[in-house]
Amino acid sequence: MNCDWVKQNITLYIYDELPDDARHELEQHTERCTGCEAELKSAREFRGQMTAAFPAAEPTPNLLAASRMRLSEALESAEPSHRWSWVPDVAGWAHQVRLAPALAMVLLMIGFAGGVVASYKLSGSRAATMAETAKNPPPLSQASIAGIKSIIPDPSSRKVEIQYDTVQPEKVEGTIDDPRIQQLLLFAARSNYNAGVRMDSVDLLAQRPEERQVRDALIFALRYDTNPGVRLKALDGLGPYVQNDTSVRNAVLEALLNDSNPGMRSEAIMLLKSVKADAAVRQAFEQLSKQDKNKFIRSESQRVLATIPEID
Amino acid sequence: MPADSVAGAPQPLSLKWGGLAKPGPPERPVAFWDGRTPPSRRGDMVSQSLSRADDSALIREAQRGNRVAFEELVRQYDRAVLRLALHLTGSEQDAQDIYQEAFLKAYRNVGNFRFECSFYTWMYRIVTNLCLDHLRKRTVRKEDPGVATDSEGNQYDVLDQTPDGRPGADPERDLMRRELGRRIGHALERLTPRERMVFELKHYHGLKLRTIGEVLKTTEETAKNTLFRATQKLRGSLADMR
Repeated sequence: MNCDWVKQNITLYIYDELPDDARHELEQHTERCTGCEAELKSAREFRGQMTAAFPAAEPTPNLLAASRMRLSEALESAEPSHRWSWVPDVAGWAHQVRLAPALAMVLLMIGFAGGVVASYKLSGSRAATMAETAKNPPPLSQASIAGIKSIIPDPSSRKVEIQYDTVQPEKVEGTIDDPRIQQLLLFAARSNYNAGVRMDSVDLLAQRPEERQVRDALIFALRYDTNPGVRLKALDGLGPYVQNDTSVRNAVLEALLNDSNPGMRSEAIMLLKSVKADAAVRQAFEQLSKQDKNKFIRSESQRVLATIPEID
Repeated sequence: MPADSVAGAPQPLSLKWGGLAKPGPPERPVAFWDGRTPPSRRGDMVSQSLSRADDSALIREAQRGNRVAFEELVRQYDRAVLRLALHLTGSEQDAQDIYQEAFLKAYRNVGNFRFECSFYTWMYRIVTNLCLDHLRKRTVRKEDPGVATDSEGNQYDVLDQTPDGRPGADPERDLMRRELGRRIGHALERLTPRERMVFELKHYHGLKLRTIGEVLKTTEETAKNTLFRATQKLRGSLADMR
């Protein structure tokens, strides 16, 4: 172990990249060798200065929230990955399908007959004979078709083969403790196209926010649901967890900074009052008190700040 | 029903940070009704293997076109990505642009992710390449690397230790620190984009040289040598300026 080796490897040492035995030897050497000890000190100083005088600051909550929002919007219209799998995307199909009004009234209870494929041959001729109709299964009502998978015309005859999937309406009853009910509620809160349905499910889920999955679903609704009524219900449900759960607190903070609905924002202020000592929360309030366009939000933020003891 | 249990119950929505420094307010343990230790305090191995399995499932879901799953993945990395972009570019606007481009690119290409490296590496590779592009394009147009611009175009001092603008306890020390900060900024700009990138990832974001090698699609040895060159140059610049 000579000084040249040490000098070459000091950089690796200060960045914890030396293997344990090399690290040990280097430390032993620098204890005995004043030249290398000085070099080590200088290297440490360098590292300290780079951090202290040019720190990599945490992005402000506002920047983070704004970036997330902007990304969310862009993802709406972005092309997803090309690996479309043969597993159907239920939420996506529910949006695509023109369901009859009767089916639209069926709330949480849409099951999916995945893998059920019916294929039957349609005669190309318009005048289907009675005999042919008797042989083929009667066409299903439009309300039951989930989506058409393929349409393959047969060039030699005038026949067409169509593969389609059907929706199997199902119903389940139970209390909120029933895992199937919970699973459906979680699904509905995220994916249902009907705001009333989403609101009902969020309302029910808010009764069990101690479960991680439920809380995450509520956070999701708070962040992304397009309907302010749904978001408000989610916010109410999450309220008691602002103090102890960081992810909840961050989500509520984002709502305060970025929600378009003023009712949401003032509710968020109410909930964040209890954690106003948190540095990120305080920073948000400071920003709002100075720059927010809404007068009420500005004055409320100022009021909350006025009651916080100054921490130096 | 117990809130979180180790065995059995699937946890597809665990939100664990992929970055190395824990950002945000200090984490307080979530209170469980029976006083059990919350999952984040369990042995690292257990929670790591759990989260690795969840991530796999999450990634596959995202590959199927499930936007919700993709957004959960984004959550794991977005703070770290923003921090990296912000420190490297010094501009909130540029940082946001890089953030946007990185995650959109990830979204469009997640189908091509073949699990041959970790998703962490894959994600960092995307961001790093965008950052390198930014570094290559950028000429030294800023006079003062210690000054950044926020999204409204207002300039603010990155090195200001008191974010609300109040003067610190020791104005002279603050001034010296700011001066040093500016020098450091200048010195960093003298590095080649790759040197800057390696140093940034190692020093400011704590990545291991081995990971840095993978991220830059080179060897650990090359990353090591690049780090040497970078630190030599920087220490040289700072010594000269004294």
